[in-house]
Amino acid sequence: MNNNKLIIAAAGSGKTTLLINKAMEIKNGKVLFTTYTDNNAGEIKQKFISEYKYIPKFITIQTWFSFLIKHGAKPYQGSYNEQMFGYDIKGLKLVNEKSGYKIDKNDKPIIVNKHRLYWPEQDIKKHFFDIRDRIFSDKLSKFVFKANKSSDNKVINRIARIYTHIFIDEAQDLAGYDLEIVKLLLNTNSTIILVADPRQTTYSTHQESKYKKYADGKIKDFFLEKCKKLIDIDEDSLEVSYRNNQEICNFSSALYPEFPKSKPWACCRDNTGTYNGVWLVQKKDVELYSYQDKYNSVILRWDKKKKSSNTLRPAFNFGESKGKTFEGVLIYPTKEMEKWIFDHRTELKNKTRAKFYVAITRAKYSAAIVVNDGVRINGSPDLKIWTPRK
Amino acid sequence: MSYIEKVKITNYKCFKEFSFELKKGMNIIVGNNESGKSTILEAIHLALSGLLNGKYLKNELSQYIFNKETEKNYLSSLKEGTPQPPPTISIEVFFDNNDFPEFEGNGSSDKEACGFLLKIDFNDEYNEDYEELIKTKKVATIPIEYYKITWISFARENISIKSIPIKSVLIDSASTRFQNGSDVYISKIIKDDLTVKESVELSQAYRKTKESFMEEESIKMINEKVTKNAGFSTKKIEISIDLSPKNSWENALMTYFDDIPFHQIGKGEQCLIKTNLALAHEKTKGSNLILMEEPENHLSHTKLNQFIKNIEDKLKDKQIIITTHSNFIANKLGLKNLILLNDKKAVAFASLEKETKETKETYEYFKKLPGYDTLRMILCKKAILVEGRSDELIIQRAFMDKNEGMLPIEKEIDVISVEGLAFERFLYIAKMIKKSVAVVTDNDKNYNKKIEDKYTKYKQYPSIEIFADERNEFHTLELQIADANKENLKLLCDVLKIDSNKQTEESIADYMKRNKTKCALNIFDAKEKILYPEYISKAIDWCK
Repeated sequence: MNNNKLIIAAAGSGKTTLLINKAMEIKNGKVLFTTYTDNNAGEIKQKFISEYKYIPKFITIQTWFSFLIKHGAKPYQGSYNEQMFGYDIKGLKLVNEKSGYKIDKNDKPIIVNKHRLYWPEQDIKKHFFDIRDRIFSDKLSKFVFKANKSSDNKVINRIARIYTHIFIDEAQDLAGYDLEIVKLLLNTNSTIILVADPRQTTYSTHQESKYKKYADGKIKDFFLEKCKKLIDIDEDSLEVSYRNNQEICNFSSALYPEFPKSKPWACCRDNTGTYNGVWLVQKKDVELYSYQDKYNSVILRWDKKKKSSNTLRPAFNFGESKGKTFEGVLIYPTKEMEKWIFDHRTELKNKTRAKFYVAITRAKYSAAIVVNDGVRINGSPDLKIWTPRK
Repeated sequence: MSYIEKVKITNYKCFKEFSFELKKGMNIIVGNNESGKSTILEAIHLALSGLLNGKYLKNELSQYIFNKETEKNYLSSLKEGTPQPPPTISIEVFFDNNDFPEFEGNGSSDKEACGFLLKIDFNDEYNEDYEELIKTKKVATIPIEYYKITWISFARENISIKSIPIKSVLIDSASTRFQNGSDVYISKIIKDDLTVKESVELSQAYRKTKESFMEEESIKMINEKVTKNAGFSTKKIEISIDLSPKNSWENALMTYFDDIPFHQIGKGEQCLIKTNLALAHEKTKGSNLILMEEPENHLSHTKLNQFIKNIEDKLKDKQIIITTHSNFIANKLGLKNLILLNDKKAVAFASLEKETKETKETYEYFKKLPGYDTLRMILCKKAILVEGRSDELIIQRAFMDKNEGMLPIEKEIDVISVEGLAFERFLYIAKMIKKSVAVVTDNDKNYNKKIEDKYTKYKQYPSIEIFADERNEFHTLELQIADANKENLKLLCDVLKIDSNKQTEESIADYMKRNKTKCALNIFDAKEKILYPEYISKAIDWCK
């Protein structure tokens, strides 16, 4: 076999580092290193530089979307449909809702029986592209899949002849037709290695109903059910968190009781100073906390566009922060998250749970969560309410 | 080894639409002057290197690189109210194999292929400016100031010149120099063969030399003096060496040959050295294409021999395109490598071998002929095909009589005698390359069958003309000449140096038939002018 592998492990367990080290060991090959977000792609580049000083020529780091446009859509776009031969795909249109709906002359969606009307697939240009010739993010992988099919697998063959190795970081974000493409790649001579943390499924840019049942972190089931013989699944080799200390590991593991608990690495465990751990910071104390905080905590929130009381700190929204490591974080939870802190039986939507998990696990030493004034903790040993030092 | 399999040129200089195939190893483009040989090399080199006349195209873009007819059509379309978009130049380069999957896709004009194109087209970002320009109604040229130059792989990806896996070396007669006088192409040839490591080392070493100049005690003293005299107490004024990137080693270093600057040595020597250096290139990835323009121009006959031998020995895994109008070179380097170029049409000689039965016969026929004869038809302006040596002499003379004693060849008209009536073999090539060719022939006693029927398929090719007499009773050239001169048999006899007594048309024709060559020579050498049959006169008129 060609050593295809899916490695499942928790946040901070060194998934990305593992891929980087594997990539550097490769002789006589070409590596595609891909991941979902721009931020994480940047993070990977940064890690290469800090570990090895440079990114070797044989390694290409590219987001999943740019990879799909460059090597998936464009080369054989003409095979999908005759009218695509001379078409100039001008990039990606990121969408958060199902794309390609019909609009009236005022650019408003046409609504019939409370539902939007959508362009069918036969209207290729309107189904797949916006008015500025950009391909919709939720349909890109579908387009690639179809172009590959109508070109007799030429798209996939071409990719496999360019890249001997394809490494996919944050593979839990793959969904719908993405999975089909990965499956096709598994059938080639290239070695495919995916790393995933099902707990961190924060993106769902795919509105297509395809493979809905594998969404929300069920990526392992997809491989087990659809291509078991093509890939090994490894859930054991990375079980230690190199990033988070004991308290953070405990807290984040509580979000996913069905998964094995994350264990902090020896060095993180030692680092349990006065300032470390998970803190609840009351709103009234946030300013003071920020002032006394020795880690220059980064702000993490649902939507960074919302006004923050602390505009001087760098801020990320939860999804964006994935793949990053900070010494300390200051989390603005959603209402549901805040409820959950005090009662773990609170229902959380999959996406909300995943984002909270991502946020907590960004911190090496200190994760502070902003809560309403006057909260109480009833015998929860992992929680501490932060009090200003004199 | 990878090579270029095909090149398609659209709207570039003399080529409105032009496509031709290349093969591995040697390719020789043979064509008359003005047939576009150099433009082909120039276009290929431009696509592979971005250089035009040794300078970057982006600085050299002008409307003159557009096809004249295309420009005219565009401009008149604006005037006549049937506007067309500003024209696009494209040069498509097709690779032969699967070594470069990144260049594969169906973005070529041939749909699925491996390669890339250089595209010079209107930049949409200037739509607004263009609109204003059109409104002024004063568009006199192609608005190249709104154009962009891009390289795009057949996978529809914008690429950089650096990423093109085949590097080209142009060896031409024009010399292009850097500001310091050193030859652009010799530097490029040397540079292309350097590994990444070597080229980093070279530029580092060059940088160090510059820096050590500043460390020189005398330079320091001079700078102190300059600073002091300038009268500023806190700021320095210094002379220094330009360390900006534009002043890199290529612009400053010079190549020497036996201590003589390269551009000062003889052209022939330059050509040999460049060729040898290019042939010696060893790239692990990618490969080299050598483009050579008319090597006969600056090499003596002996040097040419040496040069050809060199190429043959070292060519192995390289591709080379040579343009020439020298029979000698084309012949020496082999008929199978020829690409015949005429009137913007190119035909690879070897391609004839694999096509139809007819092309195969043509190929076999020319393979047996001495190469010289094949090329004569390609290299002249117009050709007259005749049936034998004596016919050839008579046509030559007929031509001279009507052209103040000038030989046909002086007007680039070649009279070729074709043995065994193999006209059709020549005509086959002529129709493919649109060559003007006339056949002057006997009617073989059956004009309808031997001329009308046989040649009727060429009627659709205006460049091909058949000249023969309709009268079946005059079925040889001798009978025709006797007939044409029947009013003055005495003169004809004098020219033929025979006794005119009791001669009839028939007896003279008979004598001529028995002494073909002698008679033809006599007619050719004679002071007096005889009369010629009408179909020959017409053929001579056709030459104009």
